[in-house]
Amino acid sequence: MISQLDRKLFRDLRRMKGQALAVALVMGCGLSMMIMSRSLIRSLESTRHEYYEAYRFAEVFVHLKRAPNRLVDRIAAIPGVAAVQAGISVQVTLDLPELDEPASGLVRSLPDHQPPALNRLFLRAGRWLRPGGTGEILVGEAFADANQLHPGDSLTLLLNGRRQTMRIAGIVLSPEFIFESRPGTALPDNRTYGIFWMPYRALASAYDLYGAFNQLALTLAPGASERPVIGALDELLKPYGGRGAHGRTDHPSHIRVSDEIRVLHTLAIGFPVVFLSVAAFMTNAVLSRLLTLQREQIAILKAFGFTDRQIVLHYLKFALVMVVAGALLGVLGGILLGVRIVTLYQLFFRFPELAFSLDRGAMLLALAVSALAAILGVFSSVRRAARLPPAEAMRPEPPARYRPALIERTGMARVLSHTFRIAVRNLERKPVQACFTIAGLALATGILIVPNCFRDGIQNVLDFQWDVVQRQDIGIGLVEPSSDQIKHLFAQLPGVIAVEPVRSAAVRLRFGARHRQLAIQGLPAHGQHSRVIDANYRQITLPSEGLVISSKLADVLGARVGDLVILEVLEGRRVTRTAPLVGLAEDFAGIAAYMDLHALNRLLGEGDIITGASFSIDALAWRDFLRELKGIPRVSWVAVKESLRANFRETTAASINVIQTIYLIFAVIVAFGVVYNNARISLAERARELATLRVIGFSRREVGAVLVTELVILALIAVPIGLLIGTGFATAILREVNTETVRLPLVLLPGNYAFAVLAVTIASVVSALAVLRKLNQLDLVGALKAPE
Amino acid sequence: MAFPPGIPDRLRIFRVRQLTKVYGEGLAQVHALAGVDLDLYAGELVVLLGPSGSGKTTLLNNLGGLDVPTAGELSYRHLDLTRADEAALTQYRRERVGFVFQFYNLIPSLTARENVGLITEIARDPMPPELALEMVHLSPRLDHFPAQLSGGEQQRVAIARAIAKRPEVLLCDEPTGALDVRTGIVVLEAIERVNRELGTLTVIITHNAVMAEMADRVIHFSDGRVHDIHENARRAPAQSLNW
Repeated sequence: MISQLDRKLFRDLRRMKGQALAVALVMGCGLSMMIMSRSLIRSLESTRHEYYEAYRFAEVFVHLKRAPNRLVDRIAAIPGVAAVQAGISVQVTLDLPELDEPASGLVRSLPDHQPPALNRLFLRAGRWLRPGGTGEILVGEAFADANQLHPGDSLTLLLNGRRQTMRIAGIVLSPEFIFESRPGTALPDNRTYGIFWMPYRALASAYDLYGAFNQLALTLAPGASERPVIGALDELLKPYGGRGAHGRTDHPSHIRVSDEIRVLHTLAIGFPVVFLSVAAFMTNAVLSRLLTLQREQIAILKAFGFTDRQIVLHYLKFALVMVVAGALLGVLGGILLGVRIVTLYQLFFRFPELAFSLDRGAMLLALAVSALAAILGVFSSVRRAARLPPAEAMRPEPPARYRPALIERTGMARVLSHTFRIAVRNLERKPVQACFTIAGLALATGILIVPNCFRDGIQNVLDFQWDVVQRQDIGIGLVEPSSDQIKHLFAQLPGVIAVEPVRSAAVRLRFGARHRQLAIQGLPAHGQHSRVIDANYRQITLPSEGLVISSKLADVLGARVGDLVILEVLEGRRVTRTAPLVGLAEDFAGIAAYMDLHALNRLLGEGDIITGASFSIDALAWRDFLRELKGIPRVSWVAVKESLRANFRETTAASINVIQTIYLIFAVIVAFGVVYNNARISLAERARELATLRVIGFSRREVGAVLVTELVILALIAVPIGLLIGTGFATAILREVNTETVRLPLVLLPGNYAFAVLAVTIASVVSALAVLRKLNQLDLVGALKAPE
Repeated sequence: MAFPPGIPDRLRIFRVRQLTKVYGEGLAQVHALAGVDLDLYAGELVVLLGPSGSGKTTLLNNLGGLDVPTAGELSYRHLDLTRADEAALTQYRRERVGFVFQFYNLIPSLTARENVGLITEIARDPMPPELALEMVHLSPRLDHFPAQLSGGEQQRVAIARAIAKRPEVLLCDEPTGALDVRTGIVVLEAIERVNRELGTLTVIITHNAVMAEMADRVIHFSDGRVHDIHENARRAPAQSLNW
């Protein structure tokens, strides 16, 4: 049975449905963000964890030149090692009939007669390789999807220089390649880079590696620590060309998923806090207004013997109804957004199954947090009303006290119109209300800055990467280091305008106690393709001595220009040298080190060797060039700048658009809700004043101007603050996502700010117009009667 | 100054014939005005007397362009108020009519001077706010906010606000209703002075019969009709009233 007091609650709520809805929507935005991000964290973490467990993802990884299989037992005997899986891993090029350029990829071996001990595969479609079978291959799902490959299709690979056409047995996923990307690149390019698996016997024979392995992964025994195992492993593999082992924290695919989870953690806390504070205030404003209106009713209830507690509870229920509505909206929004984002994740992250799993704990937390926010927002005013002695409550509230506004006291009074004075004095009399409206509008403006800042940052990186740094049209890598004479062969390919050699080598850079493993690149000193650029966007001419490294790497190592860095070469003759640090390069993905090609070759002591080349190509001869390139067996990978660009537009840009849309919706809701709430309350509180103005001869437009002036003043204060807040948000989030893998520069373009201002302005204007329509319903005659 | 029958038309400001105003529908219908016939002339001071619900406020609202009648004729000089649209009514109120309400209805965020200035900003030929406030003897309180003024002072600001535009008509709805006798008298004096010095047609609604003595004509209202019109041979000064 509903009590009469609750009946009153529902009727009152129905009368204030617009404002109650505005509050619920703003609250819903915050909760959506919270529920979405917490659920996504949960989805990603638990899915990844289960995937790693079930498919036995390794904990330590190493690549080497070549070691006999018998070494595996010695590795398994290292204290702390639980299981070991050795195999072969090679770079190959592919010939896809429908693709102009050669695609490339990584082929891994699978044990011939039993499933691998570690890094097991998940079969998405088709079947496993037949034991002892030949001519069959398994294809990673990302590549298969991007190229529409299905089990039964055939695929032509260049294996150690020989073309071999293989039949696709199955489409698979691996815990090692949740994020499939070419090593050293920040963006996925699933169309031209794929992961493949072949039987050990077939792959080993193609590469003359039978009875040996060049790649190894292992898991640690419970309680064993990673460092000593890596140390022992490196020691053991040194004679076999070991390139330095690393743990999961340096595993490219693992890092990408972890980075995403970290960003979600930021979103899960920061945004909801701001949204909920604004919502809490809005609740407070709506309820304070209601309490003023119902002063007499409260007095009568008290006169009839209702206790303070009952009255407090009655009004708290108002807030709680809004909270429940907000929480419902939040859960619904959180699920919708989460499901949408999960489909985006599926573009980048390949799990056997990545489903959105709602974090029920987050739901309860959301409900509790928003209830708390609302109760904090209303408690003081509710209690004040309840404490009022009945007789006093029966009388109307005393007239509001005003004084000249600050701006007038500075002597500007003469130039201000009366409408403007009414507006500024009202704002000054209710500074808290004004502040929260400003906060809401500022927040709406601010959150719009973030996605555009990302977009501009990425655009800047890409322009920088593709127009300033990489001026070549195409880059290739060789299967084996070759004599630099091969560049003459390359120069004769059709359409080649320029070709530049590259030498890369696996090294460990040491400075003091810190070190990093990477591929150092030897480039022509005055190269025009892969250029080394300093912070001022000027090309660094590589000197004949010393090396240039990414400024991020310098940070990581704690080294400065002029310091001597130790360079341990992890391949070939494995020399260790010291070299002076002569410059810092500006780059935005990974960490890099550069040397003059000849200097590097001198240091490596293997003669004039190159491992790849870059080309600029005459556009007219493009197809001819690619056709010839596909036929060169010594090419192991190919990176075409244009297809990287196109791929980026399809994936990363598309996902940024989705995020941007979400933020835009949130911003519009907040701006609309805050302005609506503010204008409705002003309208209600000042109905009498505004009606009086109408009676004494003000037109609707002139009366509207009184209300709008306040909003315009608030907006003029809020928007610049919002732009600052947005800049802060963007800076903080970028700092959060900037890692050794990817770095985005903080790019804040006027267009970004203009968009935020425009969106918030439009939302506010529409909202204000919706309220101003209510001015037509002002009761002119009623305003002349006794004050409410 | 009383007008004998047959006074020239140019002195007539309002012409009211068979004016009716019906609120609500069906069983809930209320005939607030049930056929009012009345003429009001320039410069006179009229007191409308009648019990609550007799229709006097409805009449005042119709005269002031705040409400439109259901049927009948209502014209202000040559302006037909029954046919005027929203914009024309706003214009009419802005230029011709001054209102004084029982609860003053001042803008709380503006000082006395500014409350008056608000009107002089939009009127065609206003007097300076200071002069209007001088007429109601409020010169020393120019820069006080409503919350700093007594009820009587607030009402005098409201009168100053009403007359600053030099209106032809001053409509006062229970102007002393919320005030004690002494303050009420001061307010009535101000109204009387405005009527005398500016020649503004002044209509005062009240249910306080004592105030009838200060009028040129006293109109008794009941059941939505003019029950009786009484002309005073001599107006009593407001100062002499007591209730």
